[in-house]
Amino acid sequence: MHKAVGIGGLRRKEAERLREQIALMKSNLENFVREHQREIRSDPVFRVQIQRMCQLIGVDPLASRKGYMAELLGVGDFYCELGIQIIDICVSTRSANGGLIEVEELRRRLIRRRLKGSEPIVEDDIRRAIGQLKPLKGGYKIVDFGNRKMVQSVARELNSDFSTVLTLAQHTCKFTREDIRAAWNWDEDRATSCINEMLCSGIIWVDEQQVGDSSFEYWVPAFFARGT
Amino acid sequence: MTSPGSATPFQFPEIYSFPPFFTRQPNESTWREQRRQWCELILAYYRHYRLYSISLTEPAREPPFANRQVSRVLPADALREVVDELVKQGNAVWTGAKNTKDACLVLWRKPDVWASMIHQWASERGLLSTVLTVFELTSGDDTVGQEFHDLDAATMRRALDVLQSQGKAQLFAGSSDEDLGVKLFA
Repeated sequence: MHKAVGIGGLRRKEAERLREQIALMKSNLENFVREHQREIRSDPVFRVQIQRMCQLIGVDPLASRKGYMAELLGVGDFYCELGIQIIDICVSTRSANGGLIEVEELRRRLIRRRLKGSEPIVEDDIRRAIGQLKPLKGGYKIVDFGNRKMVQSVARELNSDFSTVLTLAQHTCKFTREDIRAAWNWDEDRATSCINEMLCSGIIWVDEQQVGDSSFEYWVPAFFARGT
Repeated sequence: MTSPGSATPFQFPEIYSFPPFFTRQPNESTWREQRRQWCELILAYYRHYRLYSISLTEPAREPPFANRQVSRVLPADALREVVDELVKQGNAVWTGAKNTKDACLVLWRKPDVWASMIHQWASERGLLSTVLTVFELTSGDDTVGQEFHDLDAATMRRALDVLQSQGKAQLFAGSSDEDLGVKLFA
């Protein structure tokens, strides 16, 4: 029993010391951030590193609006501003892509529209900004279709058949009714209703001028935009 | 591809290489977006090469209505709908026989914009109250370097009509379109 108290005492002391260390680290980090605010804002790699450090010592700079780190890092404003730009791009491209845009395409558009000399944007920034949009219930989230990372900006869940078909189109940007049948052996009704619903939601466009083959081709504009 | 009005080739937008861009989309809201992009493309292309008319009697074979790289052509019916939209915006007028919708004039600048350019030029040159011919306006040495230099006759006529309706011009019929005389007022 004596021994147990001893260990408990030791642990208390240990915990005390750790708390002190963390407090010191927090204050050091705070000073560091204050001194390097400019570099943090202008250098995305550095920004990510600082955020990792914050996470390690249990500080979420974005956790609260009043959070001192967010204020010091200027990240609160940064992600808020970025979030608004993301919404703007998603809304203005929705009629062309059905509310689906590739992360890389979004990044290109963000960079293009931001003022020259403003902070470069990396994928991690987009993830964070989208994370911050969650309370708005706009349905903004990042979804994967195979190797494609897409930002989805429609409030409804994507029909699981949609996701399956989109995964099929991830490399070629397009698919045909035959492709669907060959891949999953769906019956005609299921394929037809999936294609019609996808056309209605604007996620795919139909091409009726494909060469040879009699079947129409369905294209995913959100996939096509990449790298062109 | 010929480039009558410009030395630099036209930069096509990304969507010009997207094969379904040449199929009228069945979904109305997608089609509205597609039509908007077609309007934008036609105006930009026509302005770049200073082109003025679209003929819909034959299937299109040239850009911007056809894209050889992807072997796609915008069908005439879809193109008619696009032109209808341009007409609604004031950026085109149907010019063919009545109700046939087989020819149109593309106004990549609206006539009132041409009108004020011409009027400003004439007042700067002290040519108000002087009778000028349309030939002098579009092909004369005095207008070299002006944006309306080389403007096609039909568009020029519309600009002058605007000036006349504003009371800033009086037109005098000549023996031909180019002989048409005009007197501009302040």
